[in-house]
Amino acid sequence: MGDKKDVWQGTLALMVLRTLETMGPLHGYGLARRIEQTSGDLLQLNYGTLYPALLKLEQEGAIRSHWGVSENNRKAKFYELTKAGHREVKKAAAEWEQTTAILDRFLNPAHEA
Amino acid sequence: MRSLRTFWLRLRGLFVSGSDFDAELESHVALHADAGIRAGLTPEEARRQALIRLGGAEQTRQAHRERRTLPWLESLVRDFAYGLRTLGKHRVVTAIAILSIGLGIGANATIFSMVSRFVLRPAPVGDPSSLLTLKTVHDGDECCNDFPLPVFKDVRDQTKSFSGVAAYDELITASIGGNGEPERVWGQAVSANFFDVLELPMVVGRGFASGEENAQQIVIGAGLWQRRFDSDPAIAGKTVMLSGRLFTIIGVAPASFHSVDQILNAEFWVPLGNAAQMMPDPANSTSRHMHWLAVVARLKPGVTRPQALAELKTLAARLAIAYPDTDKGNGFVIELAGLLSQSDSKRMGLFLAALGIVVLLVLSIAGANVANLLFAQAAGRQRDMAVRLALGATRGRLQRQMLIESLLLGLGGGALGVLLSLWSTRALSTLHLPAPVPLDLTISVDWRVLLYSFVLSVVCGILFGVAPAWAASRPLLANALKGEDALARPGRRITMRNLLVVAQIAMSVVLLCITGLFLRSLESASGIDIGFRSQNLLIMSVDPRLHSYTPERTAAFLTQLRQRAASLPGVASAAITDYAPLSMGGRSDGFSVVGGPDGDNSPSTDLYMASPGFLETMGIPRIAGNDFSNETATEQKVGIVNQAFVDRILKGKNPIGVLVNGGGVNYRIIGVVGNIKSRSLGEETRSVIYRAMVQNVGSDPSFLGYTLVVHTAGDPAGVAEAVRRQIHALDPAMAIFNEQTMEEHVQAAFFLPRLAATLFGTFGFIGLVLASVGLYGVMSYAVSRRTREIGIRMALGAQPGTVERLVLRQGMVLTSIALVLGWPAAWMLSKLASSFLYGIQPHDAFTFAIVPPLLVMIALAACWIPARRAASVDPMQALRTE
Repeated sequence: MGDKKDVWQGTLALMVLRTLETMGPLHGYGLARRIEQTSGDLLQLNYGTLYPALLKLEQEGAIRSHWGVSENNRKAKFYELTKAGHREVKKAAAEWEQTTAILDRFLNPAHEA
Repeated sequence: MRSLRTFWLRLRGLFVSGSDFDAELESHVALHADAGIRAGLTPEEARRQALIRLGGAEQTRQAHRERRTLPWLESLVRDFAYGLRTLGKHRVVTAIAILSIGLGIGANATIFSMVSRFVLRPAPVGDPSSLLTLKTVHDGDECCNDFPLPVFKDVRDQTKSFSGVAAYDELITASIGGNGEPERVWGQAVSANFFDVLELPMVVGRGFASGEENAQQIVIGAGLWQRRFDSDPAIAGKTVMLSGRLFTIIGVAPASFHSVDQILNAEFWVPLGNAAQMMPDPANSTSRHMHWLAVVARLKPGVTRPQALAELKTLAARLAIAYPDTDKGNGFVIELAGLLSQSDSKRMGLFLAALGIVVLLVLSIAGANVANLLFAQAAGRQRDMAVRLALGATRGRLQRQMLIESLLLGLGGGALGVLLSLWSTRALSTLHLPAPVPLDLTISVDWRVLLYSFVLSVVCGILFGVAPAWAASRPLLANALKGEDALARPGRRITMRNLLVVAQIAMSVVLLCITGLFLRSLESASGIDIGFRSQNLLIMSVDPRLHSYTPERTAAFLTQLRQRAASLPGVASAAITDYAPLSMGGRSDGFSVVGGPDGDNSPSTDLYMASPGFLETMGIPRIAGNDFSNETATEQKVGIVNQAFVDRILKGKNPIGVLVNGGGVNYRIIGVVGNIKSRSLGEETRSVIYRAMVQNVGSDPSFLGYTLVVHTAGDPAGVAEAVRRQIHALDPAMAIFNEQTMEEHVQAAFFLPRLAATLFGTFGFIGLVLASVGLYGVMSYAVSRRTREIGIRMALGAQPGTVERLVLRQGMVLTSIALVLGWPAAWMLSKLASSFLYGIQPHDAFTFAIVPPLLVMIALAACWIPARRAASVDPMQALRTE
């Protein structure tokens, strides 16, 4: 297991949480499309990686799932944030902002002046 | 918390099918395809695109599955299942290995249960870590003494380190009512705060409250409650007769509690104020001379033991000034309550250390056997291993597989061992020491023993599996695939297996020598002349004092009892003493000749009371003078001494008529008799004085009751019932105890040599069998490996006898090396055993001379079968099969 994948998985989890927070319950495909749209189609998700990430979040208690019916009448599994999930988004978002802020200082030292 | 939840969910995931995810995946592809169709693709193309973006349905399923479950656990479970199957296929090897390890671990668990019971187990009280035992100690003495009552009160009232200090008289006797005939029971007289200091909650009712120091109240033990009161749950508040006085039962102590020291087996507790009626010498109970109270104290929270000790030290200094006559030079020591005192633990520790070494040897021998078996098995599986290696399995994977198999063997052996130790601890618990006081020496398999056995089996499984696993995972591939021996490295003469068998035999040498010593010790103990008859004697004890008899009434009762017993049919004679010899202890004093130089002050002379006819009944030969006849309590006290008394205290002078003094009392010697073993079989002959019973019943009553000794013509057990009837004819309420034949009593005195011989004998035998099986295994394997070589030799003209000698010589070389290594080790280790041997030296020439040839003979036998097989190799057959 390389470090890159871990980082990627970490950010994917945050994207998932954040998207569910703003959009409410979504099914896997809708979630994947939404993430791509939000990224301005800069990200191309390998959809297959999304499901283990969702499962991990569910096992950790941040999201829960239930079967429902999609907008075009197909059976689909919907994911939504739990209470713990809401807390988790805030925490993770704050941490991530801090990390990027620190990195930013290294990448753009001019800011400091 | 979260990772625990995740782990649990994933563990559950192992047993849940992935069909739910299949449906979700299907729905994903359908949704994606719908979008594609909307964008103008054909349904087939849309579906194809969706699957491509998914990155493959099967891969996704796999990734999801790995997240859902615990992959490492699954592969481990697979390895275990495979290991179990492999072991199941090689049933004989598995059975021998499990039996070997089982015997080894069973032996270790048994010994460890003793360690756990006597060394590790804390007292069964609330928070044992802050409960201390206090003792007094006099300057220059090695160890310690009990407390006089006033000193206990000083400690209780003048120290600040303790939240409570309690005192108790360690053993008092009483006869108790309840179901059936009255029974003599042992208990303790305790200060009213005793149970509070112990923090011991009652099963029923309550403990004593403050201010109940003199109350006629009693707390009974759970055993007594069950035995005599049918575990009556409403017993609190009921009354019971205790030595003729009415006591109110206020509580029942828990079954785990017998005494603070965990050795004495007390069955009832009464407030200390009642002690005076129940102890032999109440007059001195308030003096600062008489040390008779055991003391426990509860440390205040936050106070350390050194702080408490420092406070006691200043108190001792104060007391020495206030009471220079009695307290000068006195100090205090503290120990954690419930553990053996230092002097006891030293001897116990030595015994357990010796046993511990022996059982570890047994386990090592067993383990070497298992390692050898695994080597042989690895040899049989080299082709299998080579194929797996060739197909790309890593060495680590193969080693893990092999290790799991040996781990399984270890665990199986451990389980068997625990079963064996369950049985052996029960058997050991039924043995009882021939002590006149009740001891609780039961041992059992507790959680510490289980934990120890588990750790030991895992360690065994891994330790004995490592070398074979390593060897098995590195076959010479080319050889293995061709079907040739791939584990034997060319040019290597000292193989691991030979080393193992040498170690095994060397350990058996040590084991056999130690075993031999203890067997010899038992033999020599059984040859000890105890100095009195053990056949055709019945003994039976009563304690009239517990039934509120006056001394005169006691004397009359005992005299009548003697006469009634003597006139029974089948009885040759009957006599009374206070307690039978070989009871591990008893009364003793220092004696000196009156008007002569000071004798020895140490209490080295044992005192017995004897009625007329006692010496003759016991078969103790009279050397000079007379027996007791019709002495009275008022005239000069008389005594009969043994030969050792004459030799040591009278320095061989004519003893008849000499006045001697012991314990402040003068006795005129009227006779001399032969020596006896007085306390234990192993003792140096002790000096003994027999005192006329009627003269001492009043002035110095026996604390242990009185024992009727009946000499019968036939089987002594046959008259027991008749004797009992005579006792109850005199007093129907009289409690009878210690009823047994003298043979049984003397047998019990063999307890220690027999226990040691049984334990060491069993372990020695197991070790020897295991080692010879090991040698046999190695030699058989060597022969099967060399079948071809032997075939060639025979084809070239070697005689069967020559071949046989070839194999035997190899076995003997291994045995000789082992003897050279093991014999000196045994010689050195035998010193450890010296204090437990009776009548023989630790370097007993017979033992050390007999063990090597014995071992050589056993080794020859173990090698002989493979040697015969080698000699019967048919050259044609051997050359063809390979």
